[in-house]
Amino acid sequence: MSAVWKVVPAGRRALGRVAPVLPRSLRRCSSEDDKPKSGFAAAFVSQSELGRREASAAGASSSEREEDAAFAALFRRGPLVQMGPPGKDKTVVGRIFHVVGDDVYVDFGAKFHAVCRRPAADADKLQRGARVRLRLHDAELTGRFLGAETDVTLLEAHATLLGPLDHGPGRS
Amino acid sequence: MTIRTLTRGLWRLLHHRNCNYSTAASIKTQQPQSDRVSEEIMKLPLEKADYFRVSELFTVKDLFDARVHLGHKKGCRHRLMVPYLYGCRLDQDILDLDQTAEHLRLALNFTAHVAYRGGVILFVSRRRQFAHLVESAARDCGEYAHTRYWQGGLLTNAHVQYGAGVRLPDLLIFLSTLTNVFRTHVGLRDAAKMNIPTVGVVDSNCNPSLVTYPVPGNDDTPVAVELFCRLFKMAIRRGKDKRKQAELLYGLTAPGSPGP
Repeated sequence: MSAVWKVVPAGRRALGRVAPVLPRSLRRCSSEDDKPKSGFAAAFVSQSELGRREASAAGASSSEREEDAAFAALFRRGPLVQMGPPGKDKTVVGRIFHVVGDDVYVDFGAKFHAVCRRPAADADKLQRGARVRLRLHDAELTGRFLGAETDVTLLEAHATLLGPLDHGPGRS
Repeated sequence: MTIRTLTRGLWRLLHHRNCNYSTAASIKTQQPQSDRVSEEIMKLPLEKADYFRVSELFTVKDLFDARVHLGHKKGCRHRLMVPYLYGCRLDQDILDLDQTAEHLRLALNFTAHVAYRGGVILFVSRRRQFAHLVESAARDCGEYAHTRYWQGGLLTNAHVQYGAGVRLPDLLIFLSTLTNVFRTHVGLRDAAKMNIPTVGVVDSNCNPSLVTYPVPGNDDTPVAVELFCRLFKMAIRRGKDKRKQAELLYGLTAPGSPGP
């Protein structure tokens, strides 16, 4: 068994960034390759092939193409896009920048801020500059009224305050 | 004979009409001692394309970090902003930062040139959230700001409202081209009427038609507005500093005498 684990790191270093090496028992089964790969496995293999081909051809790419792709790449790899659509399991971290009575204005990195009502329990922790967790429902509150040409926008995001960001022992 | 006198009279009438532009009549420029040297100074920045090197002031990454590419929702979109959009993601319009960078370079370059030539620059914004920011930015670079209610005849009826011989601004910079009720600011139309060029940050719900140098970008997030204020301040300072340098080089301003 120890012989298998010694092979794995050496193989990974030699091949560079490739698919993770499977343990010998599973490798024997998949190397037959009679049944077609489906789902994630197929996508992963094709993407890593493409990546390898691009890396070898990247030496000839012009700097202009890289600059044109700069914004596209920045946007695609930015946190707002990587997060995906707002849904019931999407939590974002924001910072309170203004407090009016019981309402806190939270900036979480999108175009608009969210205005949430501060629960009475954590009132002392949720002051200006505190970091909080939010459940994001909508990045901008808009609505089309009857007879209007364009939407009416409230210039605010819609989010629910979950609580202060606790720095647990395992999290940063 | 009568035809000749008629044409002469007509020519004189047209000549008088053409001289009565309010901006031209009201400019009181301090003419330096030597006109030839001042002409040299005026021609100096026109020799190079990016004389003030405004392209070094920012990168696309800076714009991205300041969230300049985020627009409003699809339903708020203005049809004339469609060429400036990169696309629409989950119903939110995304502005193309490559186009924004190019437009911003043009706008900053023009602002620096106007500052070099001693022009009066007016920052305009009707967003109450950023009123203090815009006013302090204008004060820091020695220019002017108008972030309150825009009186109807401020530009078009200036000589009646503020006295004869008042000098109008030579450039209007709009940090937001909409008023608080989401209608286009009156100052854009009035500046176009008075032949005053405008620079404006246009969001995806704005009308970029009358803006001379539109800069497609986010005008709602504080980070973005701070970035724009900072960039315009730096461009104006560069223009003014280069003007002082040029005058010292040509030996015009002795220490103690007032500059433009």
